[in-house]
Amino acid sequence: MISVKELVKESRLTGNYFAPDAYLQGDLESGLIENRGGGRLLALPESFLRAIYEGLQEEVGAASEPVLYKCGAWWGKTFYRRFAEEVSKSLGRPMADIDMIEFLQCFKQCWKTHGWGSIELDFDFYQHGFIVAQIKNSAFANSSPTLDKPKCFVEAGLLSSFFTGLTGQKLHCIQTTCESMGADCNYFVLGLPERVKRAEAWLQEKHDHATIMERLCQSQMDRYLNLE
Amino acid sequence: MHTELQNLLYAADDHYLSDADLDQFQKTAHSLAERIETYEYIRDRELSILQPAADYLSEEFPNTDSKILERAVVHWLSILRYGSMAMLCDNVEFLNQRILEWMPDLLEVYQLRDIEIAFYRLLQVQIKSTLSPTQIDLIKPYLEEAYGVLLRSKSTLQLSA
Repeated sequence: MISVKELVKESRLTGNYFAPDAYLQGDLESGLIENRGGGRLLALPESFLRAIYEGLQEEVGAASEPVLYKCGAWWGKTFYRRFAEEVSKSLGRPMADIDMIEFLQCFKQCWKTHGWGSIELDFDFYQHGFIVAQIKNSAFANSSPTLDKPKCFVEAGLLSSFFTGLTGQKLHCIQTTCESMGADCNYFVLGLPERVKRAEAWLQEKHDHATIMERLCQSQMDRYLNLE
Repeated sequence: MHTELQNLLYAADDHYLSDADLDQFQKTAHSLAERIETYEYIRDRELSILQPAADYLSEEFPNTDSKILERAVVHWLSILRYGSMAMLCDNVEFLNQRILEWMPDLLEVYQLRDIEIAFYRLLQVQIKSTLSPTQIDLIKPYLEEAYGVLLRSKSTLQLSA
């Protein structure tokens, strides 16, 4: 017997906390854009993002890539903490009681509402120890210079530390396709550093995302079977 | 804000509203009174509308875990609440953004599609027996919008096959 009265009392009937019209708020008087929790938001012009890429490239050359990755990792670490707090508060439950599907839906919506593009997560390779993130309309890819390799180091760093926070294991992230190179989306592969870094060599050899995933999974199988 | 009133507000950005605009404003204001009345009516009868539907749902799915059925009912509690607010604001996007965009993934993961389709049909019966024809006309498009999302989602029967 279902008691609707009890369900109304017990359930927190919240909808999409990160819906843009509810999440993004402004105080025109003081020139602030804020989120629902009162955290300040900042709208970055595309030309500024482009200037960061070009300025870093000019000043530190190839080191700009790890610098951007580290910036993203720093950002992702604090983003995970704030995000987890917001989700927990909005659903009225501690993180341990939140279903993964609810958490991921909030994550996808949060990503979209901030204007970073749209993100989908693929757990099909989870058994092999990898998570794949697919991002479309990335602000970072659109602003990056067109080069011969993926350039979204900020997002890669962000994803690595976000999922490190979520899983409690140190994860690394490698981008395998990039919209700046004409791909229809950006693929990122997350996994333990020693596993996922193997993809770097295949990336340099210009293998596509599907091939890289196939090889990563195969190398994991080989390790299990002690063939390596 | 009410979508039509907002459009008229934007239209009057640099000029007075025309007679046709004012006529539209008047119609919208009149409709708003009906919408407020319908909203209050549904709000005050939330339990009496949903409880019988929940009872029938338990009868239709006697072998399903009650936690799963409760999840579907909670889902429709939210849809009715957000749908009523969307009806009040005459803004279907409000319903879409606040709840419907989340539905497909939840339906798939929790395998709720067929249960929720059944609940929608049971809810329709309750709505018809509780609300006036005018009130039904006002809330119906929003419930149908949610039903459309259900129909377009992946069948749980196919998933489990």
